Amino acid sequence: MDKETALNNYIKIFSTSEKFKNPRRTIKKVRYKGARLVMNEEQRRLTQLQEDEKLKNPDKPPADRVTYFSIAAPPSLKPIRTYCDVTGLPTNYKSPHNQIRYYNKECYEIVRSMPSGVDQQYLSLRGANVILK
Amino acid sequence: MSEKLFSHNFAKIEEDLPPRKIYSFQDYPQSDSIKPFNNDSNYSQNTPIAIDFGKTYVRMGMAGTENPYLNFPTLSARYRDRKNNKSSTFIGYDVFYDSTIKANMKNPHDGQMLTNWDAVEKILDYSFLHLNVNSINKINNPIIFNETLATPLSQRQNLSELFFETYDIPSIAFGIDSLFSYYQNNGKSGLIIGTNHESTSIIPILNNNPLINITKRINIGGHQLNDFLKCSIGLKYPYFPTRLNDWQIQNLIKDHCYISKNFNNEINHSLDLNYLEKNDITIEAPFNEILKEEKSDEQLKLDEIKRKENIKKLQDQAKLKRLEKLQLKQKDFEYYSKIKDSFSTMSKREIIDTIRESGFDDENDLNKYLLNLEKSLKKAKLLETDDDDDNDDDENNKYDFSILDKPSSELSPDEIKEKRRLRLIKSNIDSKLRARKEKEEAIKEAEEIRQKDIEFRLNNLESWINNKRQLLDSVVKRRKERLKLKNELGDRKSRASQQRMKNIASLADDAPIDLPINNKRRHQTATIDNDPNDTFGANDDDWSIYRDIAGVDDEELSAEEQEEIYLLEKQLLEFDPNFTINDTQERQFDYKNSIIHKYLRGPRDFDNEDQHQLHQIHLNVERIRIPEIMFQPSITGIDQAGITEVVEDTLLRRLPQELGFSGDISDSNNIKEIFNDIFITGGCALFPNFQSRMTTDIRSFLPTNVSFNVRLAKDPILDAWKGMSKWGYNDFTNNGSKGFWTKQQYNELGIDYMTDNGFGCINLK
Repeated sequence: MDKETALNNYIKIFSTSEKFKNPRRTIKKVRYKGARLVMNEEQRRLTQLQEDEKLKNPDKPPADRVTYFSIAAPPSLKPIRTYCDVTGLPTNYKSPHNQIRYYNKECYEIVRSMPSGVDQQYLSLRGANVILK
Repeated sequence: MSEKLFSHNFAKIEEDLPPRKIYSFQDYPQSDSIKPFNNDSNYSQNTPIAIDFGKTYVRMGMAGTENPYLNFPTLSARYRDRKNNKSSTFIGYDVFYDSTIKANMKNPHDGQMLTNWDAVEKILDYSFLHLNVNSINKINNPIIFNETLATPLSQRQNLSELFFETYDIPSIAFGIDSLFSYYQNNGKSGLIIGTNHESTSIIPILNNNPLINITKRINIGGHQLNDFLKCSIGLKYPYFPTRLNDWQIQNLIKDHCYISKNFNNEINHSLDLNYLEKNDITIEAPFNEILKEEKSDEQLKLDEIKRKENIKKLQDQAKLKRLEKLQLKQKDFEYYSKIKDSFSTMSKREIIDTIRESGFDDENDLNKYLLNLEKSLKKAKLLETDDDDDNDDDENNKYDFSILDKPSSELSPDEIKEKRRLRLIKSNIDSKLRARKEKEEAIKEAEEIRQKDIEFRLNNLESWINNKRQLLDSVVKRRKERLKLKNELGDRKSRASQQRMKNIASLADDAPIDLPINNKRRHQTATIDNDPNDTFGANDDDWSIYRDIAGVDDEELSAEEQEEIYLLEKQLLEFDPNFTINDTQERQFDYKNSIIHKYLRGPRDFDNEDQHQLHQIHLNVERIRIPEIMFQPSITGIDQAGITEVVEDTLLRRLPQELGFSGDISDSNNIKEIFNDIFITGGCALFPNFQSRMTTDIRSFLPTNVSFNVRLAKDPILDAWKGMSKWGYNDFTNNGSKGFWTKQQYNELGIDYMTDNGFGCINLK
């Protein structure tokens, strides 16, 4: 079977999927929503929910609700270990002019001669880059 | 290349090392056929269908079966057949069938959320078609579907809408994949560490009842690891010739990364040579090797001849040009000399007029000009005769200099002219001879110095060595200083670059202040444009200013220093018993001592001419660093506790609090039960050593009298679907579908009041 007939066969069979779908359904127009929008909507819904409860029962403390946001793990309480941004080895040194952590003199040579922009890319790996707004 | 000009030959002392094993990248799978729609799916109406709709793979099949009937990557691609004006969507492995289709592939997820609902519907269509669903206008099967933990309501809403309204199904059950996996592995009470593509959740479960309110989610999953590795490789090999795609990166992690049992210790040694020898991974990207043409000897000879001919041609041209110039100058010289000679018969007034007419200020000016001309003529003639150095012996014999000895008074005017010419020639020849003699003397002197050096060495080896070492040190120091200066010049504010700016400014100025000028010569020497104020260049030191302001990256200088260092080292190597090959400058920049080299190129030397090596990447530190992100999210800058810390907090603080238990945890049966079943599932559970790492980590914070047990899911990837299948079948046949939410409930209550079925499908109201 050559490619074209294979593709055509597939297209023909795939188009029969209407048979097990409800023919009377309403088809929505907007079918795409980014994750950030989904999250914002959920946050808004939750605050709305809380406010409604407060209106109904002003004395009752807000209910402990399990939400997508409440189950996020808390920040670490342990000291953070630092690693060389270039090689990944543990280190305590930090370049004074672009904040990049480096392991030894050799790595520092690289850090020092880094063109601007590249240092930001390295920093963005650990979310420490400067974001201009 | 210049770095290799002066190189000690280390080949002799290099031990024979076996070649490294070379891995290849795993690219997207090839698909040479479209998956056929078969009839062997065991489909029957009224049996639940289990769907594990994951971020990377979709698994689907009838509940109660052992393995999912369908298992394909969560990918969809729109395709338009222009010839027949038909469009369609390709799903799963079929996406790889054709490159035009592959180019459009998309994942319906954005992060953890389903966002592209069109694509979700197409993927479900495709799956139901493959399952052979044969009902008309509806699907007569309950559905079991996975969702994220505490999912946003809109996700559940959209999914229910899709299933109830588009497919018109009778009932649906949602659940969390790691809980289904736990169910499949016959768990009852325990702590589940569920890893997936976007997050890791730590869920305690007691008597089949997940304690969702003390569950925690860490936003680190396989996807974050992929992203991190992708960016790191991009920065590690910025000039890598091929672009790595997500699939390749994902497979690098799958195939080569592992969890370190003792990360803090292992990372410290991860760039040691013997560690690299064992653990460095070389991966080569496919490329078309370009074979260099080998030139035959004959060809080389021909090339050489051609080159020589070209050089000769150019030399001849240059000579001709020089001759023309010389003639012009000679003419000028004769013309102005004649004018000068004629002065003797002229009045003062006439002389001044003539000088002015010729374009000079006064007689001095003319004299200066003539002097210059004469000088340059002499120089040019010297050069001319230098060119044909070889035939100057017979030149000597060519002329008859006897006429020079006769007094001029005895000669005719013609002879006087000839005498003048011959005198010029003779002085040329004499100066040439003198130069040659000087050259010979210099060689002799050098030889003498060499002899003296040898004598010195033979007489007093110790002080000879000291002497040489001091010399070497001074050269090395000079070189270092030069490089330091060069570095400093890179900084605009440094002292060195400020001085340089000052020099440039004073050069541009009319009256130089800083320049070293020899006052005595100032008025004596003329310059090309006869400007008495501009005496730059009169002193040879003046020119060094250009070296100063040009910056210091002088390749010539660097090569000179290198040669000097090389020669000194060679002597020391030969005669100083304490000076070994490891003391040489070259050795000190050896790849075996370079962290960066080992990080980039592994435990072997790097040849930047080798096509293969240019297409290779090395994984060493990354192999343990990438999975470590799960334990230390701070590596990627995520401000959350790692797995160990969350597990510790859950086991020691949240759990006793939740159960209302205070006191020694070893007294509580419930807590003990949970401790005894710490269960790891999900894609990341496939990393080697996960179990033993968790065991050591948990041991480190638990009291010694508390026992615990860590286990892995039997099949960390497929167990979620298998659990769905098993539970769905049991609940449907033996429990009256209590865990499902029916269409009637959906119509009357919506989904806000959805009941908990023991799989984390919590009430979101």
